[in-house]
Amino acid sequence: MTLSVEELAKMIDHTALKADTKRSKIKQLCEEALTYEFGAVCINSIHVEYAAELLKNSDVKVCCVVGFPLGTNLSSVKAFEAKEAVRLGAEEIDMVMNVGALRDGNIELVQSDIEAVVRASGDAHVKVILETGLLIDDQKREACRIARKAGAHFVKTSTGFGPMGATPYDVKLMREVVGSTMGVKAAGGIRTFKDALIMIDAGANRLGTSSGVSIIEDYRWARYSTSWMQPEKPCWRCPSRAANLNKQPKDVYLWYKQRCITCPHRDENIFND
Amino acid sequence: MSEFNFKILRVSLTDNKTLTEHLSPEIMFRFLGGRGLGVKLIYDELKSGVDPLSPDNILIFAVGPLTATSVPTAGRFVVITKSPLTGTIFDSHCGGYFGAQLRKAGYVAIVIHGRSSTPAYLWIDDDKVEIKDATHLWGLDTYETTDRLLDETGPKAQVACIGPAGENGVKLAAIINDKHRAAGRGGVGAVMGSKGLKAVVVKGSKSPSVSDEDSLESAVKRARLLIKKNPVTNKALPVYGTAVLVNLINEFGMLPTHNFQEGTFNDAEGVSGEKILERLLVKTYRCHGCPIGCGRITRVNDIEIGGPEYETVWAFGPQCGINDLETITLANHKCNLYGLDTISVGSTIGCAIELTEKGLMESQLHFGQIEGLLDMIDAIAYKRGLGAELAEGSRSLAEKHGAPELSMHVKGLEIPAYDPRGAQGHALGYATSNRGGCHLRSYMIGPEVMGSPVRLDRDRTEGKPELVILYQNLSAAMDSLVVCRFTNFAWTIDDYADMISAAMGIPIGGDEFLKIGERIWTLERLFNVREGLTAADDRLPKRFFKPLPEGGSRNRVVHLDELLPKYYQLRKWDEKGIPTKALISELEIG
Repeated sequence: MTLSVEELAKMIDHTALKADTKRSKIKQLCEEALTYEFGAVCINSIHVEYAAELLKNSDVKVCCVVGFPLGTNLSSVKAFEAKEAVRLGAEEIDMVMNVGALRDGNIELVQSDIEAVVRASGDAHVKVILETGLLIDDQKREACRIARKAGAHFVKTSTGFGPMGATPYDVKLMREVVGSTMGVKAAGGIRTFKDALIMIDAGANRLGTSSGVSIIEDYRWARYSTSWMQPEKPCWRCPSRAANLNKQPKDVYLWYKQRCITCPHRDENIFND
Repeated sequence: MSEFNFKILRVSLTDNKTLTEHLSPEIMFRFLGGRGLGVKLIYDELKSGVDPLSPDNILIFAVGPLTATSVPTAGRFVVITKSPLTGTIFDSHCGGYFGAQLRKAGYVAIVIHGRSSTPAYLWIDDDKVEIKDATHLWGLDTYETTDRLLDETGPKAQVACIGPAGENGVKLAAIINDKHRAAGRGGVGAVMGSKGLKAVVVKGSKSPSVSDEDSLESAVKRARLLIKKNPVTNKALPVYGTAVLVNLINEFGMLPTHNFQEGTFNDAEGVSGEKILERLLVKTYRCHGCPIGCGRITRVNDIEIGGPEYETVWAFGPQCGINDLETITLANHKCNLYGLDTISVGSTIGCAIELTEKGLMESQLHFGQIEGLLDMIDAIAYKRGLGAELAEGSRSLAEKHGAPELSMHVKGLEIPAYDPRGAQGHALGYATSNRGGCHLRSYMIGPEVMGSPVRLDRDRTEGKPELVILYQNLSAAMDSLVVCRFTNFAWTIDDYADMISAAMGIPIGGDEFLKIGERIWTLERLFNVREGLTAADDRLPKRFFKPLPEGGSRNRVVHLDELLPKYYQLRKWDEKGIPTKALISELEIG
């Protein structure tokens, strides 16, 4: 894969979503986004107005999370939050899907929830966070179809606060469902340029990460060797390896681990690295 | 760049004379300074076959073109000589504040020849240079020596000195600055002692000139930001020190335990960086110009101690089966006082314990037993009893007792705190290191264990020779600037090139920077070949070809046979490990 530093930077949503994020951090985030020409900054709604002011007259967009990180708010609340964020300067909205409703099979509620946010967001692009670690594959596919039908522009893997981050497996699955008509954003656990390139190779065209600066800076190492991209152990990025009973519903956890039983790489899953 | 930056001081201790020389810019451009400059001078000026502890050996203290500028961590110095422990060319690096003072005094290197008939110390006060009597200092430990010399020369001076170990020709002897920063490895302290040189004291007041101050400032600003953004340099190292690695390396099953018989230490948590923070830390320590501050100042038995860092924790801890943090720290302190390399001392004691437990030698030492450990360090420093045997290093010790395979060394230098069975690239780095068993020539632990800059499969051999060479060339060039190795977590090759371009006025990019590193590495190799080293010396102890019994690296062995031929080929060395004429010509080092 040949990707320029600039092209890689444009794909990055430079992210700061933690509860302890101070105003100074937002300022730093925006300054870095301008320096490195990232695609967007991804922040909580409380910081949107400030970030929009810092980024005005630039190509860096303000992306605001909505219903974050659980996705369990009333649709009206999500819609209101999205509308306010857009009014304050957000050009992109990353909303968390109603995961529980999807697991209930309440497709109407999931879809109307997304539609409400899409309507409230006006011209702003909407990305729907599936929180893939809480879903089995059929549910991920269903969620992608609903998001597309509801008029969203992107599907996104994870909040970064859920049971697991982005995996190339999930990105590939999501890309296969949405095709080329929608974007796929990989988010959660993307810390190195190798992580980034693997996600892009799997089908992602946007990356959510708080390690944007390191990724771009370290990407300069790539010029000096192709060995960085040597194959890894097959289990490293497998969602089944990352499954965790303490963080996932039991049925989801067991579904992931069931896959290990028939996995051809099962015998290689020995060590803890 | 002004002439000021190219000045070296030659000292003939035999004749009691000093001479200032101006280096040609060409040497600096091709070798940068520090390690590269020292290697070039030693290669050109030292005849082959010289006894490292004879007056004919040359001892060089060097700094680099970035030293004492605004570049972060650029206050270090490097000692280059022919090692009495390995017989190879050797560079041993030291933090603290001595390096910055040397550069401020106007020198990039001190080249020391001969032997003084009576103990001496060198006193450099800007342009004034004196060889002074040190009879009153001979026999003193490094703390007393430092204090006495600062009384004599003033508190602004910096002292690099040896302790009793260096005086006594212990091949594990270090040179100490600021009481606890060590040019530790390779027995450089013994070379200094063999010359009758107790200390070098330096004070400078000049500001090093740089070619393009604005460009350098811009590069430095960026470099500082990168250090601040990096989790290793901004969090792990400042908070826990280098001993933050104890738990991580143990989890990977690579924490050498009981002289590398195992890779997991049951009590690792108790000797971890986290535990040092909770139990012993008084304050952190940072070297000149360092924004990281990985150094630890601890307190045990009401003694304030510099250290311990990761390698020291390992050497006196898991390597000897000891889980007592206070004893480990006190062992560190003794090494500071005597001027000893903690890695080689701890590793050699671990070797002695295994020899003892296998019934091959007699001693009171046992794995996990603190009794006798501190006394043994005393005995090594003064070459008393069994200590005299250990003072020669583990290779000599194990050979003497009929079990050379129990010395965990490469080319005579004790291997540090990473079992190479757990990381194939790191194993190749050990085997091919020009100075012997060293983790810093090519720190493949970064990608293979820590995931920096990206995570590599530590078990794969494919692609590793290429990366080992990349890191070796980079480290050779970095060591010539001279900056701290930890910057490598935050900076890429281009950052170093940017800074050196601005400082020296030579517009080089990353590729040229690496080429300089390759030139230095190859010249070191040529020196070693000239001394009689062969491909057979690019070896690892037999132990690493048998699987580890348990832990995170269980069942693993080193696949050196797969790695080494490819390494030679990529290096453009022949199958005997000798650089080809074409390469020598290409690098212009013939």
